[in-house]
Amino acid sequence: MIDLLIIGAGLTGLFAAYRAAQAGLQVRVIAKGIGATHWHAGTVDVLGYLPGKEAAVGNWELAIPELPAAHPYQLLGVEAIQTALDAFQQLTADAGLPYERAGAPGQNHLLPSPLGVGRPVYLVPVGQRAGDLTLELPAPAGFQHRRATQVERPLVIVGLSGIRDFYPALIAENLQKQGYRVRSAMLPCSLLTKWQGHSPLQLARLLDVPAEQERFAEAVASIAVADERLGLPAVLGLHNHSRLMARLQEASGNRSIFEIPTLPPSVPGIRLYEALRARLYRLGVRIEVGMEVCGVYTEGRRIQWLETETSSRPLHHRAAKYLLASGGILGGGMRGDHSGRMTETVFDLPLTVPQDRSQWLRPLFLDSRGHPVFQGGVAVNARFQPLDASAAPVYENLWAAGAILSHTDPIRERSREGVAIATSYAAIQQLNNCSPQGV
Amino acid sequence: MESDSWRAVTRHDHCSVPMKRIETEILVIGGGATGAGVAWDAALRGFRTVLVEKRDLTHGTTGRYHGLLHSGGRYVVKDPNSASECIQENHILRRTHPHCIEDTGGFFVVMPEDESDYPDRFAVACRDLGIPCAEIPVAEALSREPLLNPRISRVFEVPDAAADSFLATHATAQAAQQAGAQVLTYHEVTSLHVSGGAGDRTVTGASVLNTVSAEEIQIVADLVINAAGAWAAQIAAQAGVEMTMILGKGVMLATNCRLVNTVINRCKMPSDGDILVPIHTVSVIGTTDEHVLDPENLHIETWEVDLMLEEGDKLVPGLSGSRILRAWAGVRPLYQEKCRARLSPLGHSRDIPRSLVLLDHQERDGLSGFLTITGGKWTTFRLMAESAVDRACVQLGVSRPCRTGDTPVPGSEQGHYWLGHRLQEVEDEHLQNELVCECELVTYAMLERAVRHNPTVTLDDLRRDVRLGMGPCQGGFCTYRAVGILHELRAEGSTSEKPVAREEHDIGGYLSQLSPAIDPQVSVSQPSLLLRDFLQERWKGVMPILWGQQLRQERLDELIYLSILNADHLPADDGESPLSAFYRQHAP
Repeated sequence: MIDLLIIGAGLTGLFAAYRAAQAGLQVRVIAKGIGATHWHAGTVDVLGYLPGKEAAVGNWELAIPELPAAHPYQLLGVEAIQTALDAFQQLTADAGLPYERAGAPGQNHLLPSPLGVGRPVYLVPVGQRAGDLTLELPAPAGFQHRRATQVERPLVIVGLSGIRDFYPALIAENLQKQGYRVRSAMLPCSLLTKWQGHSPLQLARLLDVPAEQERFAEAVASIAVADERLGLPAVLGLHNHSRLMARLQEASGNRSIFEIPTLPPSVPGIRLYEALRARLYRLGVRIEVGMEVCGVYTEGRRIQWLETETSSRPLHHRAAKYLLASGGILGGGMRGDHSGRMTETVFDLPLTVPQDRSQWLRPLFLDSRGHPVFQGGVAVNARFQPLDASAAPVYENLWAAGAILSHTDPIRERSREGVAIATSYAAIQQLNNCSPQGV
Repeated sequence: MESDSWRAVTRHDHCSVPMKRIETEILVIGGGATGAGVAWDAALRGFRTVLVEKRDLTHGTTGRYHGLLHSGGRYVVKDPNSASECIQENHILRRTHPHCIEDTGGFFVVMPEDESDYPDRFAVACRDLGIPCAEIPVAEALSREPLLNPRISRVFEVPDAAADSFLATHATAQAAQQAGAQVLTYHEVTSLHVSGGAGDRTVTGASVLNTVSAEEIQIVADLVINAAGAWAAQIAAQAGVEMTMILGKGVMLATNCRLVNTVINRCKMPSDGDILVPIHTVSVIGTTDEHVLDPENLHIETWEVDLMLEEGDKLVPGLSGSRILRAWAGVRPLYQEKCRARLSPLGHSRDIPRSLVLLDHQERDGLSGFLTITGGKWTTFRLMAESAVDRACVQLGVSRPCRTGDTPVPGSEQGHYWLGHRLQEVEDEHLQNELVCECELVTYAMLERAVRHNPTVTLDDLRRDVRLGMGPCQGGFCTYRAVGILHELRAEGSTSEKPVAREEHDIGGYLSQLSPAIDPQVSVSQPSLLLRDFLQERWKGVMPILWGQQLRQERLDELIYLSILNADHLPADDGESPLSAFYRQHAP
């Protein structure tokens, strides 16, 4: 019997596995499929917007007190969140894909989105960092922290003709409307391939090839004007990313070159997943994808084993403790039916989602308050144990973390990775502190 | 400058815009199937013709129905006149608009709960009206449609089919233009011109407003044909004519795949949720029939969705568990002379006849130069047009025979539509990497062609042209791409290509200014607005059906538009499009 079984292979599950393995636990990850890392921009968003407020959060440490009292961040406090993020940064450094802060603790970057809108994000992979709009005037309220010390440099957004998921002129126009100095340029796609319309992932794989990297670097260098920062779609290599970045910097005279994320599948997201998986592999953690939990066996308030059906036979997974990291509605941790019933898909835990479909959504898609159906989830206590109706832990050996948690809407708040990292860190700490027999 | 033109949509300065004037013989109001049909018919008979539509072609009921080409079977017992119109037109449209029709055939199936003498009456009535109808063995029906409820006891096969009302209306309008008609979309009638005194009044034309540029145009016409469908009473009121439309709201749901390849009807008196139509990549279950007062603001109630699912399960067990892509409502423009306003606002309107209604306001109201054509079905739009233009000939004192019945529209040379058409083109031409919308196989070239040939004020206009955003992700990926592509096309100055055959009667140079399909000043000058409008338009249609996998899909769309694109914090520069408010409407 292993010490810990983690259900879910998204950022929450993988980071939890890393923490658990570091703490010396014998841990295994099972998941129905890979998590939402492949869909997101590959940044660590900790808190970008407060519910119902339009302005971006400049420093999330200052904004956390304004969150609802039951928000997972409020259960943790600023210090615990910061500790978890430090551990994540250490992990990415060890894994060869370092993530960095903007400056002061809690200070968000403002990175251009593929629509040309600043995305408030906290930790960014080195490859995206030079796009930070707070390096350029005018910085919005809350982002003026280091104006004086930075050299202002205009941006050039460079696309590849014919790719469907990146429109440099549109990005530049929207950034200009917000007062940034920016222009756009286009490289012919024929540089890399005779085919039009490659997906970002296909291009990234092409750009892993050293000969292609050379040709590409020369073409990019030809576009550059001395002091500009140069933004490219996030296709700059999948496995050979850092080599290409170095080559680009070199060819273009040490220019600040950065990636802008694209529509899913996300190359920076896949890089992060691959880096975490490689690190876990070295720590001896098995990640088994394709394992959907189809049965839960309990005695009293204790989970005995889980059953999955794989290769046409049932498998039993026995562990002393279990961590639910199955994600929210997007990750598949919750599912609603047309009668308005929302179900937690592994343990059938109670959920805080309104059990009436007409209460789930608001009439405007972009309503800044978000949609109630996406704010519910599993309610937990301060030890991150799922609770039943009487506020007692449902199982003594079950913990939960990540997007499955209630009282947060990680996509609306732009807190997806922050919630994943901070709550999985805390859940591992909590479950490791309690005896194998449970609380 | 650009944003001014948008704001002007709701409030414009009369003094600053010079007045345009168009003279024509026939002015058609309404760009649905009927209006396009009238313009086509009138132009073929040699009338100078102008059609005005306040939004895009098919924005009203035509673009919001289930896509059934009726054999007439549905009305054969209850409304034989309508049934007989349907079978006649069914045969004609298969010749004039074959590429808009998929020859699916149709079944009328008898459920255990529907057993009565109806099936036999149905078969006899079909025979009497000349509707081909053959009873086939249940086993054969089940082998052709394996998902059909195995408890059915009898099956009748009829020549129902699936029709693409967007494509058909565009093809009809194009045929009208080739015959010399002028089609003005996004032109709303602001007033009808009436001259003469009591007892001798005549409609002489209309003032219309270009809702995009805020330009006002005076149209002088010998005769005005009101083909405004559910909005017909509002148009008639502008000429002082009182008429009460009976608006029957019908709710429909689309499933994410074709559960059946044959149109399936319940063999009973028409009722709620008793028809399943395979159309393009989806099946549509419909409909309800609720009397409403407002054709604009159609709210879809939870119970209506639930009823469709419940009834759908009877036709195809498990339908309610399939993935539903979207819900929408259309409103039938029904009319009955003796029924003025007597219907309770929330009652059923099933008992109002479906046959076409032509109102000659000279006879009815002492107002010459004005006809209203309404009622009917999509299937009978050509016949409606024919009878309206026949009457127009009488009023104008000329005799010119109708030619639409044997004049194929552009595109008809392709033969009947079949589902694999787009896929074959993509595979043959190796266009896999050029797909802008993977769900509906929309290529870059298709999008570009549509933008160049049709006015594009919203991305919804492109949806009607090429099915952009109609698949499982409901615009999740293609909304962003389409905005980017339109933005690029604008930068390239894509206004060089001229639209087809509009030289015939270019009055006062007006058309030469209007004709470039992309007007960079008004169509794509606001990429953020295009994006937000379309996101909200898609949301409106998915809201009633978000659960299960489709709710999950919507969360992915949120991840894309919020987390990755940050579309909810685009610079707020834009004002409104003529449809922004329409997309936001929800409250019952």
